Parts: sequence; structure tokens; C-alpha cells
Amino acid sequence: IPYSEPSLILSLGATPSPKQLVDIIEAALIMLARLAPRTRQTRYIHARSFARTFVTSHHRQISIERDTNGHIDLEKLLSKPTWSVASLLPPKDQEATVSEVSSKQLHHLLRLSALPPPKDAAEEAQMLSTLTSQLHFVKEIQRVDTSGVEPLRSLRDETVQGESEAELGMDALKGALDMEETRGTHYRRIKRKRGVRLPEEGEQWDPLGTASKKTGRFFVVEGGKND
Amino acid sequence: MHSSTLRTAPIHLTRTLQHPSFTTARSLRPCIVAKWLQSRRLTTASPRTQEVIPLRKHLKDEAKRKKAEVKRDGNVLSTKQTSDSRLDKWELTVGIEIHAELNTACKLFSSAPAEVSVGDDGGSANSRVAAFDAALPGTQPQFQIATLLPALRAAIALECEVQRKSGWDRKHYFHWDQPNGYQITQYYRPFAKDGSLTLGAFDGVPAEDLNGAESITIGIKQIQMEQDTAKTMNVGSSTYHVDLNRAGMPLIEVITLPHIHSPQTAAAVVRKIQAVLKGVDACVTGMELGGLRADVNVSVRQRGTSGTGSSYSGVSGLGQRTEIKNLSSFKAVEDAIVAERDRQISVLEAGGVIEGETRGWTLGATETTRLRGKEGEVDYRYMPDADLPPLVIGSDLVKHLKTTMPMLPDAVEQDLEEWHGLSRKDAKTLNEQDNGDRVEFFERTASFLLAEVGTFKSEVSTGKERRKTGKLVGNWVLHELGGLLATHQRSWDDVRVTADELKDILVCLHKNQITARAAKQILAELVQRQPAPKGPYWPSMDTRPSVEQLIDAGNLRLRPLSEHEYEKLAKQIMDASPEMVKAVREKGQKGKVMWFVGQMVRQGEEGTVEPEKAKVVIERLMDG
Repeated sequence: IPYSEPSLILSLGATPSPKQLVDIIEAALIMLARLAPRTRQTRYIHARSFARTFVTSHHRQISIERDTNGHIDLEKLLSKPTWSVASLLPPKDQEATVSEVSSKQLHHLLRLSALPPPKDAAEEAQMLSTLTSQLHFVKEIQRVDTSGVEPLRSLRDETVQGESEAELGMDALKGALDMEETRGTHYRRIKRKRGVRLPEEGEQWDPLGTASKKTGRFFVVEGGKND
Repeated sequence: MHSSTLRTAPIHLTRTLQHPSFTTARSLRPCIVAKWLQSRRLTTASPRTQEVIPLRKHLKDEAKRKKAEVKRDGNVLSTKQTSDSRLDKWELTVGIEIHAELNTACKLFSSAPAEVSVGDDGGSANSRVAAFDAALPGTQPQFQIATLLPALRAAIALECEVQRKSGWDRKHYFHWDQPNGYQITQYYRPFAKDGSLTLGAFDGVPAEDLNGAESITIGIKQIQMEQDTAKTMNVGSSTYHVDLNRAGMPLIEVITLPHIHSPQTAAAVVRKIQAVLKGVDACVTGMELGGLRADVNVSVRQRGTSGTGSSYSGVSGLGQRTEIKNLSSFKAVEDAIVAERDRQISVLEAGGVIEGETRGWTLGATETTRLRGKEGEVDYRYMPDADLPPLVIGSDLVKHLKTTMPMLPDAVEQDLEEWHGLSRKDAKTLNEQDNGDRVEFFERTASFLLAEVGTFKSEVSTGKERRKTGKLVGNWVLHELGGLLATHQRSWDDVRVTADELKDILVCLHKNQITARAAKQILAELVQRQPAPKGPYWPSMDTRPSVEQLIDAGNLRLRPLSEHEYEKLAKQIMDASPEMVKAVREKGQKGKVMWFVGQMVRQGEEGTVEPEKAKVVIERLMDG
């Protein structure tokens, strides 16, 4: 499977709303960045400092089973997922250990995010464990090596075939080249034929039809300073 | 002037307007009326009253100005010399960004027509606007493939490397002339990079810039395609009229590297780029029609130092630069750079610091004006446009365009100079006329003439002959025909003189069947005549006479006079004006001999007196 840009769709369970999540994580990261030893520029934890290529499977490679004829049983193959988001979350046994975030930090973060403090110790413990697992998740994401990966601009066909289809070559420009004539015999010149109008597509419309202020055929703009 | 008279002309003008003789005899001096109209802001035309200054006139004016200065100043230490001494200490560096309108049928991202087509109402404002140009919500850009051709030709002509993949980016800013709120340009990945432009002394580069070399090369950083903005016109104090016809038109932006070190070179670079773009049919409206605009970046540094250490795309050791925007003529480019250089030197010598600001220039000003300081710098928030796919250009197309490129103006002028024997200045002027039609006419006439009068004895003789005939034809096509066009106010398309006819005239001239004066007369006659009607209903009888017929009709055939007749005519004239004779004989003013020649030609019968022989006779009589 050719490697394509990471386009992960995450769905987290019963946690604070996404906006609150973002607020907490942002504040937590900044705090951790300040606390972490300054080996490099730790203001933004750079992905390249923890190089690990993105793999589809976390623990093992799945070998695709083929029957005697070489065919793949698609139903069987697709019945079990080979990867789950859970691979990015901390394993269950790790949650019991001391969380990275202390209680004092948690209260500070909640105050910064204008969120209500936890009602009791159980809720606080739950918040801490959730925060820890989320931070673990984010660090796992940041471990992905994105060197040489272009930021996604839009969803397009970026395969080699797609690019060759989008290429503008002689056949694509043939119509335009036919609209030109060569003048002169000794000193050759090229001139585009004028007045050859292609048939109008779509109906004629009045650009001024949507204007509230106009004079004649012009749009009117008041450029003076507001009084 | 009280308000009730605001809509009427001032009293003194009204009187002149009502004067009966003025309407028939002469027109009102334009400056008064124009000034009044402008002060009332009743004109909607853009102030494009700058004259188109042809190259020869420009060169002549420069030479005249220099001569007048030398004469005036002499040994006195003038301001020019003080500025020269300042220039010994300070070095100027200029980079130019040129925006040129591409010659296309459609706009860049919509199928609205780019030019006014005959017939429909394309000439009025807001008549060539597509939905995307008006930024209606939900409209998407659609890249028009045909706009790629002139852009690629421009890139190849300026020797750039065409990038296979390039992108479209948005440059965000708010203004009435930008309906979308952003301009689609190619900021991160332009479609052509790393080109060059070569200029020589004949392009207007001063000698100190050439430094003894034959030519200098200006590097071109990149060429990118982008959209043009709409047109706004100021009417009244703060009201603007917006015309979206120009919104979305394709432009290319040519960015040069800061390799330019004098104002004259900068103007020469802009001129050269315009000529090259015209020569490959990429951008056909010139600077005088608003089809080409230049922004210049100016910085100074002390010679031998590295300025403030600023650098721009590889060129380091420069001073802080300022940008002058919207220069719309070659002279404006040169004057603005001179003014800005002088201002920067004055500031630096006074101990100040140059700020990186944007400045403007108006015609006739002495200093640039500040438009925007660094605090007013706009953050354009460049981002890749998500609606447009990247531009992928096939290498087969680039190869095809490279092989079918038309001859660049440099090559044409070199050919005219070496093969046809024209001077470089003549070749340049000839090439600039009428989009190359005049050169074509010249070439045909020269080849016809050579075929008829040339002798093909040996290579050497044909070379010399070819250059001689080339020069003759060049003078006639450029100066005679050009002069007739100017006096009769015709454009080249109206002229119906064919190459054959001019060849006939020149053959007769060459064979000494007519004098030069008679030949000019015949040409003038032919220029004014209507072309022969062609068609199935008219027989092949020409209402347009041939050259031979004209010569016979006007009795212009040279009937050479004998020596005796020359002497008789000369003596007649000399007796008529004894003071001129005295001037030549006693005061030794040899130039006045030509006056006598002129008188002989004028008084003699048409087509009889030959100026060369007449001169010989008169000189002999003067001495004897």
C-alpha cells in the first residue's frame, strides 16, 4: 500500500468536549515543555527528535493469507482490524502508575482553562488518568517522522497516473496553438488570431445586478474616512 | 468661485468658448481646459497623458541635454559634478519587478473574454465579468489552459528554467479592486526560475556599467503568473468607480536579481524586457498603454563595503532597500531611481538610517513620497489555494515551444546589422515599428532590389552590394516612409505601398533614371493613393498606376543637363544673390555651397538637376 499523508480520524470516548481537550492539552504541553530538560529546542517537541516511521500495525506484521489459487479472501481479511487507535493510548496496566501531571498542575490547568475544579477525589483521579492517557497519545503521534512529508493542501489524486492526467502537454494546448498564425517569411513571428470568440457558455448575466450602489455601468465605492 | 458656478466654466473661458473664430480657426489650448476639468475632477480618464517617447527621440534628447550641460557648466563645479563625486563614494543597486499583461483570449481563471471583441458590447465597463471575477459566493476558479502559451514563451525568451510542477497561492488583502479579498499568485512555487537577460551598449547601458565588456547579464530570479486587479477611478473627493473588466486578467511578474547598478541600465532593462515580450507575442500592450508596470527596489551602499549586510536571493552585502511602486513609463523609472538614490545618499551622509518603506513617484516630482512605512506593512497571509490543482507543465510542450520560438529582437537586429548593413540604431528603430511588419517589408524590398540590380559575380561583391542596397532600402523604409506616415498621419495598416512599388522606385533611382527628390515625390504620391480594388467584377485594370507610369506622367525622368547648362544656371543664381557668393568666397563658409545647390535644384526643371553635379559646378565657379 503506497504511503499517503496521515489523515487520521480520531474518535475519543467519554472525555471533555473537543474544545476543552484542546485547551487542556495545549496548556499541558507548554508546561511540560518548560519542565522537560532542555536538550534541544523543546519549545515545540519536534517529531524528528523521536524518529519512528509510521507503521500500520503496532506490534506485528500481518501476513496476508492466500488460498491455493492465490486469491485473497476479502471478507476474512477485512473482518478483523489490523490497527486500532488504542495502540496510541497507554496500555491498561500503565494507567495505575503515577501520572505525569500532579494534582497541583491539574488545578492550575483547570483554572487557566476556566473549567470547574473536580468535585471529589474520585473525579480528580479520573481526570488525571484521562489526561495522562491523552498526553501519552499525543506523544505517540509526535513520534511519527514527518521529514520530507508535504503538508496536505487538498484531497487530490497524487499518484503518478493522476499527475500524468493533469499534465498540460501538446494535446491539451492543441486548441490554443491552432489559434495562432505564423507571420513573416524571413523573420518568423507568431501572432495570436484576434476576434475569434469561442461560443459563450452559460447565460449572460448582469454583474451590476447584485450591486446596491452603482452609477451607469460602474460600481460605486465611498472611500472617505468614516465620519 | 461660488457654488452656483461650479458646473459652468469660468467666465473668461466661457467667452473664449463662445468666440466664433476659435471653433473654426484653432482649438483651445488643452492645458487650461484639462487643468480646469481636473480641478473639478470631472475627468474619468486615467492620467495617461505621458508622451510616448520613441527610442531615437530619447537618445537625441539625451545627447542634446548633455551637450547643453557641458556648454553651460564648463569648468564650474556644478551640481552634476558634486553628485558625480558622491557617486564615486556610493554605489547604487536596483532590482526590478515587472508586471506585464499576457496576450490571451480569456482571463486567467474564468472564461470571460480578455479583449474587446467587435460587435457585442465589450467596450463598456463591467461587460466582461464572469461570476468568479465578481467573487460571487460559491464560484470556483477554473484555470484557462490557453493562458499558458504566452507565459511559457515569455519564460523561454528570458532563458528561464520552466518548472514542471508549480503551485497557486493566495495573497490576502482588502481593497475595492480585489473582489475576492485575495489575489491568486504563485508565491511559493513559481512556474519559471533562474533566467537571464543580456544588454549591450546599444540598448542604452552606460559605459561605466559595462566596465569594458561588450554586454552585461542581468539575472532573472523568477517569473510567475498572477491575476490582475480591477480598475478604480477617482471621481469626486472620495468616491470611486470600480470596473471589473480587468479583474482576473492574466499577468506575469518578472523579478530580476539586484544586478543593476545605474538608473539608465534600469530603464534599459525595462525597455529590453518589453521588447522581448513583444517579440514573442507574450505581452503586446506596452508601458505607455498601461500593459506593463514596474516596481523598483533601490538601495545604496558605500563602495567597497557590504552596506547593512542585507541580502536578496543570493546577492549579499547590500544596503537597506526601499520599494518604489507603480512606475508607468521608462523615464519615470529612471527619474524615480535617481531621486531615490539621491535621497538615500543624503540621509546616510547625514548620519541617518534608511527604513524599509514603500514609496511612490509622480511625474514631475523631485523626490519620492512615502506611501507606507514598515509599521503599515501588510501581512498577506500567503497560503496555497485549495481550489486549484497544482500546475503540471509537460516537457514536450516546452520543447515544442523552444523549437518554434520566433526570432528574438536581438537576433533580428543583429541580422539586420550584419547581413543588411544597417546601423545598430537604425536596426533597433526599424524593429520597433509596427510589430515587426516594417522589418518584413524592408526585408522583402531589399531582396527584390538585390535580385534586380545585384550582380552575382563573387561572394565579396554581393556582400558589399547587399549591404549597400540594404542601407539604401533601410533609409527609405525607415526615414522616408516613416516621415510620410507621420506627415499624413497614417498608420502602417493603412499604407498600401507594396514592396514591389518601392523596389521599382529604388531601381529607377539606382539606375539614375530619376533624382532622389523625384523618387520621394513618387513615394508620397503612392502613399496617398487608394489601393486597387480587387474582385471578380472589376477587370484587372488598375486604378493604381505603376511607378513607370507615374514617372512618365509627372515628367520626372532625369534629363541630364550638359555642363554648359549647369554653369548657366549656377551663374544665374550667383548673380541673383551676391552676398551669399561673398560669404562663400571671402568668409570661407563652405557650408553655404549647399544653399546654392538647393536653389539650383529648385529653380531648375523638375527631374533635371542632379545635386552632386551641381555642387561640383558651383565649387568650380566659386574658385574660378
